[in-house]
Amino acid sequence: MEKIVVCIKGVPRPGTVKVDPVTHTLRREGAELMLNPHDRPALEMAMRLKNRYGVPVVVLSMGPPNVVPLLKEAYALGADEMILLSDRAFAGADTLATSRVLAKALERLSPFSLVLMGLKSIDGETAQVPPETAALLGIPSVINVREIAFEEDKVLLIRGTDYGEEELEVSPPLIVSVTTKMDYLRPPSFKRILESRELSPKVFTASDLGLSEEHLGLKGSPTQVAGLFERVREAKGEIWEGDPEELAGRLIELLKERGFIKS
Amino acid sequence: MGDYMLAYGEYYQGRLHPASLEILSPLREIANQLGKKLALLVLAPTYEEVQNNTELLKAICDEVLVVAHESLGEFKDDLYERVVVEVVKGLRPFGVFFPATLQGLALAPRVAGKLGVGLCAHVNALEIEDGELYMLRPTYGENIMAKLYSTTLPVMATLALGAFSIKEGERAPIFKLWEMSSDFSWESKLKIRQFTPAKKEINRLSVAKVVLAGGLGLKKKENFEKLIRLAQLLEGEVGATRPLCHAGWVEEERMIGVSGISVRPKLYIGFGISGAIQHTVGMENSEFIIAVNTDKEAPLVKLAHLSLIADAEKVIDALLKKLETRP
Repeated sequence: MEKIVVCIKGVPRPGTVKVDPVTHTLRREGAELMLNPHDRPALEMAMRLKNRYGVPVVVLSMGPPNVVPLLKEAYALGADEMILLSDRAFAGADTLATSRVLAKALERLSPFSLVLMGLKSIDGETAQVPPETAALLGIPSVINVREIAFEEDKVLLIRGTDYGEEELEVSPPLIVSVTTKMDYLRPPSFKRILESRELSPKVFTASDLGLSEEHLGLKGSPTQVAGLFERVREAKGEIWEGDPEELAGRLIELLKERGFIKS
Repeated sequence: MGDYMLAYGEYYQGRLHPASLEILSPLREIANQLGKKLALLVLAPTYEEVQNNTELLKAICDEVLVVAHESLGEFKDDLYERVVVEVVKGLRPFGVFFPATLQGLALAPRVAGKLGVGLCAHVNALEIEDGELYMLRPTYGENIMAKLYSTTLPVMATLALGAFSIKEGERAPIFKLWEMSSDFSWESKLKIRQFTPAKKEINRLSVAKVVLAGGLGLKKKENFEKLIRLAQLLEGEVGATRPLCHAGWVEEERMIGVSGISVRPKLYIGFGISGAIQHTVGMENSEFIIAVNTDKEAPLVKLAHLSLIADAEKVIDALLKKLETRP
């Protein structure tokens, strides 16, 4: 098997995000970034495969320079190489414009057998980037995977579906999004944290990847925000205040009246 | 472009996923407003079994387009993508919509990527304004809805689960077998070796008549367990906000809101839920909403028909005491 690439995303720490008043996209530059929590299981899966099959792991992120500490977090967990895709032209990208950049970068990193991503990010919550990137590359994708093994030239996977679980056999290369549930997440190695201080990721810009600006960022994104609005609601309901015991009693009476509790 | 609006009919082992019927409801209205035909695309091993499917007879679409081939008995992401892309290229619909099921989430982005068009996720309302189609969904971290549009055609989106209720049509749709091109390859890089059906009963949350939901105001996991007991007494289901699911108090399948489940019960009671829009979009269509919260200014209190301003834990304890000791 060839190498594994893990794509990770820096997401604004909840509460620190600002929406750009003009473009209505999230402003990541000013926000305090943290690793998308759903990417941790993807990193864990990569480390398990690395330990079991001895394949190298490359960690990659598209984002502003303040995602570098997150790449180092992945290094501390055991990633061998760090790659940053960074360019002002990438800003404001929807899932298609993001997938274009990832697909180009993955082409550059080929040969690889497996690309791992989190199921979804906690900011966009679309879950679209892994299959979308795979389609652009013309390779298979499988979402919501909880187990991966290599068997000769095949990748074996277990995915959760709405109907149960499927055991699949896929010819690599492929892109997999990993389930958000993982029984164990390893802690970072202290030695590798120290090592990572001296390291910096390899950086690719739009022109390094041979991407033209009209397909990138906000300008290259077919989904656009027409407007944001607050759904203002007037308090229309009744308010009960007082002792919880008494309120519970009144509530039970009301639920009986309305037929939710059989009296 | 486009006399049609196309909806994806998720069909697996002889059954149509109910979410595919849900998404027809808003699309019917949009199709009527725009003067388009509404078609449901079904991929199945045989044409006959789809024609005999009773659920489809009541679907409120004009046509059911069926692609039938023996390789379409199992969901293979890459093959299904190529089938849908070929149909879209032939039919040239104005819009293509998928339910936000796991299959929809696996397939829609592949189709959009292949076609090079935009895809909006977890949309929970559609609107036409000056002939333009807008898609609405909540945004991250703020109590704000975003109104999105697509600059490319077909317009594509996944529609949130449970956000729309199923409506039945007055007459059966017309069934049409879609002929794929003769050189179409039915190969897939995926092979399904084994399928294990889900052991536990399918989550009844989205169709429950009574929903009790918990938020961070419950303060500890044990209180969520009390909520489960209370739900059993009221013959209801429990739901939760995102932070509780992430904290592992309850499985993520019980998350109500964006990217979770939408509920529309006859009775919804939110315990210790402040009411961030990420949650409220998934429950605001409930018939009777009760909030139990210490904060009178909480958004859920503003939305509720009745609010009990009190500590959620104490109210749950009192309710359990009174209901469990009833004869």
